[in-house]
Amino acid sequence: MQEQIQQALKHSRADYTEIRVEERETTRVSFRGKDLENAGGNLDKGGIVRCLIRDHGWGVATFNNLDDLLTKVDQAYECARVAHNHEPISLAETEPVQDTVRVSMQRDFRDVSLAEKKALLEKYNEVMLSSGDKIVDTNAVYADDFTRMIYANSEGTFIEEERPSVSLRCVACAHDGENVQQALESHAGPYGFEYVIDQEELVRKAARHAIELLDAQPVKGGNYTVVADQGLAGLFVHEAFGHMSEADFIYENPKAREMMTLGRRFGSDILQVYDDGSVPGLRGSHPYDDEGTPSRRNILIKDGILVGRMHSRETAAKMDEKPLGNARALNYRFPPIVRMTNTAIENGKTSFEDMIAEIKLGIYACDAFGGETALENFSFSSGYAYMIRDGKIAEMVKDVILAGNLFTTMMNIDAIGNDFQWLMFSGGCGKGNQIPLPVGMGAPHIRIQNVVIGGK
Amino acid sequence: MDLFNYLKSEAEQVEVVEMQNESTTVEFEANKLKTSKVEETRGTAVRVVRHGRLGFAASTDRDAINKLAANVMESASYGDEIPLHFAGPQAAASSRTFDSGIADLPIQRLVEIGGEMIEMLLAVEPEARVNVSLNRGIQTVSVRTQAGAEVSFERSPFSISIDLSRVQNEDILTLFDMLGMTLLNEDPLMPARHLVEKLKWAKRLTTLHSGTMPVLFSPSGSLAWLLPLIEGLNGRNVYKGVSPMTGKISKKIFDEELTVMDDGTLDGKLGSAPYDDEGIPHRCNVLIDHGVLKGFLYDLKTAVQSGVESTGNGMRELFNPPRIAPTNLVIEPGNQPLDEIISNIDEGLLVDDLLGLGQGNILSGSFSNPVALGLKIEKGEIVGRVKDVSVAGNIYDLLENITSVSKETRWIFNTFSAPYILLSDMNVVSKN
Repeated sequence: MQEQIQQALKHSRADYTEIRVEERETTRVSFRGKDLENAGGNLDKGGIVRCLIRDHGWGVATFNNLDDLLTKVDQAYECARVAHNHEPISLAETEPVQDTVRVSMQRDFRDVSLAEKKALLEKYNEVMLSSGDKIVDTNAVYADDFTRMIYANSEGTFIEEERPSVSLRCVACAHDGENVQQALESHAGPYGFEYVIDQEELVRKAARHAIELLDAQPVKGGNYTVVADQGLAGLFVHEAFGHMSEADFIYENPKAREMMTLGRRFGSDILQVYDDGSVPGLRGSHPYDDEGTPSRRNILIKDGILVGRMHSRETAAKMDEKPLGNARALNYRFPPIVRMTNTAIENGKTSFEDMIAEIKLGIYACDAFGGETALENFSFSSGYAYMIRDGKIAEMVKDVILAGNLFTTMMNIDAIGNDFQWLMFSGGCGKGNQIPLPVGMGAPHIRIQNVVIGGK
Repeated sequence: MDLFNYLKSEAEQVEVVEMQNESTTVEFEANKLKTSKVEETRGTAVRVVRHGRLGFAASTDRDAINKLAANVMESASYGDEIPLHFAGPQAAASSRTFDSGIADLPIQRLVEIGGEMIEMLLAVEPEARVNVSLNRGIQTVSVRTQAGAEVSFERSPFSISIDLSRVQNEDILTLFDMLGMTLLNEDPLMPARHLVEKLKWAKRLTTLHSGTMPVLFSPSGSLAWLLPLIEGLNGRNVYKGVSPMTGKISKKIFDEELTVMDDGTLDGKLGSAPYDDEGIPHRCNVLIDHGVLKGFLYDLKTAVQSGVESTGNGMRELFNPPRIAPTNLVIEPGNQPLDEIISNIDEGLLVDDLLGLGQGNILSGSFSNPVALGLKIEKGEIVGRVKDVSVAGNIYDLLENITSVSKETRWIFNTFSAPYILLSDMNVVSKN
């Protein structure tokens, strides 16, 4: 394959050409209620050629048939010629890299039989189902993915990389008359089979929360002081701030550029935010991004001030900044775009007890069901939540969905906890059609003043 | 190896599905043509029933047929014991979904249409940053079973999506629209025309107080209640007993103004095809008739589990077993013109787009969403856009009393046709 790729790159008449080839083996086992829905494996093999003609544009060809890379290069080249750009497109300089990245798993999931994977998941599913009469439905999913990829470009980069991923996801559904409540727990990372064993406690938590939510009252809508746990704070920084710091949102938009000017104050002095694909062992970790740029720590907010952002080589050149490994592609069906890797709020100093002590009426919101941003506006739903009354955690409430404006909400973070955690949630981030891309998130507890909570 | 015959010799039932897709996409970014893309994908998905157990596997690697066969056999050794019968030979639904005009659409024509849309929008909003994606393709699906189904159909999807953002100080306005067809019978500039209209409404900013008020859901705003409704109508959730509509067939559970059907036979619509992805003919299924629950959506597996017939709603992506999905979901229009509905509102909110759709516990019918595009209605007129507003409720309460349903309908997200629906007493939370 290496020779065919090199030959195809040489053949290209474009200013810049890159080729990515992937071979992926996956296994998935899922239970819904008592029933095994499916247990089996898939094979996916394909490639992508991307060409740039500087005063025209980008051309892309994706395919499953790897036999004729030369034709694919020609197709991508013809596509690149369709556009016309008066201002030629440049790519930020990066050092060409030749590297081979092999991984070793404590227990390689490719050597584990489907029978054992199924038995493990069946045990977890049984833990949920036997947690009480009120649990009427479950969804338990085990998935593993081993991808071998080759990335090469016309500047001399050639990287062979292995990327493993294993995940466990458990949803419990509790029922009481017409009242139906769900709770979700998940655990995922770039590891072997060892990573998903002994997770009974996590699974039990999903069942317990679903049952507890049956008795919870819907939260009363209004403005509250909110304390978010690590799970929700991590999602918050990803959704509300992270997406705005992706340079493709701003690089061709003078107004947005102004809004995201480096040096602008985003929060109080206690707030530090970064993105870092080079931390080993997290869901968004990779030594090189999908343009072959090495991953590094990218500080986004320092002492409350915006100091950095995430780039592809194209956006970095356009803004005269440095790419630090944020060009990522979901798979060979897509070209890389600017994405987060592992995004985090750095640890602070406040203990959880101090954080809630002064709150007369507030909400302690935990974990996340999901989130979405439309630029400055964001929305995300907590998995479960409690009222805070007179400085104490009180009754559980449900249907807690936080919404707000990025700028005011970031400024309203007035306490940062001293209990940082990386989150190893399954699922992933969506942008364009590229979903779910594995990303990491991390945070301590945070407190936010004046948050709009939707509700009755 | 001849996959079909090999599997037939090893298993009682066999289904081999081939999915092939060839497409061209042009993408405009920030008002400029940026990327053009050609895609060719081809894959095989197989299901077998062996010793009464169901197995599934899929592959895009043509050189690994033996591995695919081994995978599906291994899968079947753990699969459900289920009396499933793959499709037999059945006559196709009459549905036109292929147009050589789309299949032959040259890339230059896609570029022209995109350019024209951007010009239309810049003419009314010079500071807009517009992204347009135009995609034309040819999809072929074939389903072959040991029971004699030998189905193959071709579709020519043409889809256009457009989004616009405009930043002014700290106000970011974003608007979105899309259009899809498989016959060249609609104006491809329509999404841009919709955005021109929305821009007119959205330019002025105004404020709204929290409280109970009439809320008018536009066709795209209707997703707030449509998504929970679709979850409730999904036969799998009914079989599992978790749909709040379980056991309520023939009961009146919604306002009589509400009629909902799923129709996979409409000519030229993206959800249409002669057959579903399990080789079952598409048809029109009435789900809610004047507020009375009439039926649910099923694929082969959930149908046999529930003791009913498949409704032709088996949908698949290559790498997953079939699942239930609506084809084209149609909410019937009412009698009242939209103008008249709006003119009767003294103070209220028009919800056109929401954030966080599908999040939270939608199976229970409840939704709670920030409004991404909300317009204030005052003394019978739309007076401007409101920000930091959210709506919440439960569809099983709210849809018991619908105040008005408009005559006008619109296709949204290429899969739903909905009118404007007015609910008189909804709680709206506003930060102002």
